[in-house]
Amino acid sequence: MKNPSSDILTEKEIPATASATPLSGSEAVIRSLLEEGVDTIFGYPGGAIMPVYDALYHYQDQVNHILVRHEQGAAHAAQGYARITGKPGICLATSGPGATNLVTGITDAMMDSTPLVCITGQVFASLLGTDAFQEADVIGITAPVTKWSYQITDADEIPEVFAKAFYIANSGRPGPVLIDITKNAQVALMSKEFRYTKCKHIISYRPRLQPKQEQVELAARLINEAKKPYLFVGHGVLIAKAEEELKAFVEKTEIPAACTLLGLSAISSDHPQYVGMLGMHGNYSTNKLINEADLVIGLGMRFDDRVTGNVAAFATGAKVIHIDIDPSEINKIIPADAPVIGDAKAVLKALLPLVEKRERNDWLAEFKELDKEEYEKVIKEDLFPEGGQIKMGEVIHRLSEKTAGKAAIVADVGQHQMEAARYYRFKQTDGYITSGGSGTMGFALPAAFGAKVGSPEREVVAVIGDGCFQMTLQELGTIWQSELPVKIIILNNNYLGMVRQWQQLFFDRRYSFVELKNPDFITIAKGFGIDGMKITEREELDSALDTLISSKKAFLLEILVEKELNVFPMVPSGAPVSDIRLE
Amino acid sequence: MEKLYTICIFTENTLGLLNRISGIFTRRRINIESLSVSETERKGISRFTIVFKSDEREKVEKIVRQIRKIIEVLAVFGYEDPDLVFNELAFFKLDTKNAAGAKQLLEGYKRAKVLFEDEQILIIEKAGTEEEIYSFFKQLKPYGILEFVRSGRIALSRSEKGLAQYLPEAEWAYNI
Repeated sequence: MKNPSSDILTEKEIPATASATPLSGSEAVIRSLLEEGVDTIFGYPGGAIMPVYDALYHYQDQVNHILVRHEQGAAHAAQGYARITGKPGICLATSGPGATNLVTGITDAMMDSTPLVCITGQVFASLLGTDAFQEADVIGITAPVTKWSYQITDADEIPEVFAKAFYIANSGRPGPVLIDITKNAQVALMSKEFRYTKCKHIISYRPRLQPKQEQVELAARLINEAKKPYLFVGHGVLIAKAEEELKAFVEKTEIPAACTLLGLSAISSDHPQYVGMLGMHGNYSTNKLINEADLVIGLGMRFDDRVTGNVAAFATGAKVIHIDIDPSEINKIIPADAPVIGDAKAVLKALLPLVEKRERNDWLAEFKELDKEEYEKVIKEDLFPEGGQIKMGEVIHRLSEKTAGKAAIVADVGQHQMEAARYYRFKQTDGYITSGGSGTMGFALPAAFGAKVGSPEREVVAVIGDGCFQMTLQELGTIWQSELPVKIIILNNNYLGMVRQWQQLFFDRRYSFVELKNPDFITIAKGFGIDGMKITEREELDSALDTLISSKKAFLLEILVEKELNVFPMVPSGAPVSDIRLE
Repeated sequence: MEKLYTICIFTENTLGLLNRISGIFTRRRINIESLSVSETERKGISRFTIVFKSDEREKVEKIVRQIRKIIEVLAVFGYEDPDLVFNELAFFKLDTKNAAGAKQLLEGYKRAKVLFEDEQILIIEKAGTEEEIYSFFKQLKPYGILEFVRSGRIALSRSEKGLAQYLPEAEWAYNI
């Protein structure tokens, strides 16, 4: 039986964060991770990180290390984990090529504001700058694509630097941080007691969470005055976990709400105020009516060029409220009449009592009217084709129904990404994980198992094109070895479909190096111990999806889809959003 | 029209920061005209003074906001020339055989003096704005300039606001 009073005594005598015997740097690394509540590491060992791996060996009961097949996979897996849990994803890699292989994933995380803590080994401090074996200037290479980075050369620095790294990665606008640790710092014993204090404040870094009241008041006034306000919902809402506040806000104001690619699932696709997706392959109404609005509200989004099209012709009749936690986004692309700096949740909470309850049925009806046109010209044929080969859209539509809109869809990059974004009906938050800003092909397979590790209860379905799949297919090995029940759909058109679409539309059908001679994906999956099935006919689709979903283990479903399918609607690159084409 | 802008950046004194700051200029393809870095009156705090040209004030404001995002950056201010008191320092190396003429020229100039002289060479120091230094350069040229070096601009704003406003003394002690 435990004696509670003695527990208190013990706690006083030896704080949980301190260790009496000196720790090696490597052990301090693992202990620091544990202090931050890390339960999962995605990594790949190698020479310069071996001491950390040796320390990890003794902590296998506390940390789940997932051995990837390529460090890029570790970075994307950590992204998938971070996006679904809201906690930083952890990557561990060796020096030189191990570290440089992370760079694509780090860049992707930077673009999409995803918190990562990347730990890389480095050569002995005494060898730095001498072109030692597997030495690379990782701090220099990653400076433009990390929120923060630091090179540790002394074991004593470890707890403090890790605490700082975790705080920076997951506060304010989240992003990737990198800690490079020289081998001597890993093997050396700390000269002082290991003491871990979580970082809560950095003098030179003060993200503003609470908005300034006068900014909120001005925004509220513009909202109350507007006849046709229009809300753009971005990733910031998901990061801030502000879904409830968003729902309350749109229900009170009845402002039509559209999501950016990364904002999808912040509001249910079935919500009456939800009007669809913004962007180059967003909906017809959502793009067309941007220039009809008299007020646009960017909420946790950054007016990316795939959303604005030609900036000069964007929201020409509208005042702009820009709500973002990152002050450098304000006026970067679209000048804001009312900037509000703050966390999306805090801003919505502050706005809610100040905005007036309104009915906006007429304005909403304008969206519904254009939706009919899109349905007739695009959606009907995409979802309910009467003949021909299977279409990507109908696969997503059936998948959406069979998973009740509650799966986490992890999409790669290209046509299938846009079709998944357009036709999955998101009923649960964090339902769409994809590479938005970077558009990194090969993202989905590793990100999907990262998401599955982060949220084992959730159905995770990777939607991948045949081109993307071949960029990181070795990660099937990781899925196999770690026994992760990830569901994989390959939408195979034997083309780099999006590039082919552009060549068709803008390069007079000169199909320059976009046709793929593909391997037998099912044989490959089987080689990795993963069951799979290939279908080519519409009649097989339902039962194949049922097999995929009901499988208790990882499963790969390859679907041969229409070869020259095009994704519409489409705003041609650099054109005004109102020039959106339906065909 | 292109104008000169000066950005003053106050940072924690850490490795690799220059790389991060210069990266912001490189990405936007802006050429840095001059750069100087030194410790400030506060312990552990460095001051960067960066001069560059831009055709739009708005672009400068965007750069200022991006630099502010760097974690170790404490404060960033952008200025146009009338907001500042600024100067540079230049050294000129001449052959000693031309010393007499050059020295005569010095008499007509403020803040110009001989810094070093031996049988071979004469080194003249001139302080002033970029313009003043170049006009002095032109005058000195006939005497044969062997070598010339200019420091980056250093500048203080004309406003009474100082760093103290941003860096509480409790957290950042004075150096001296």
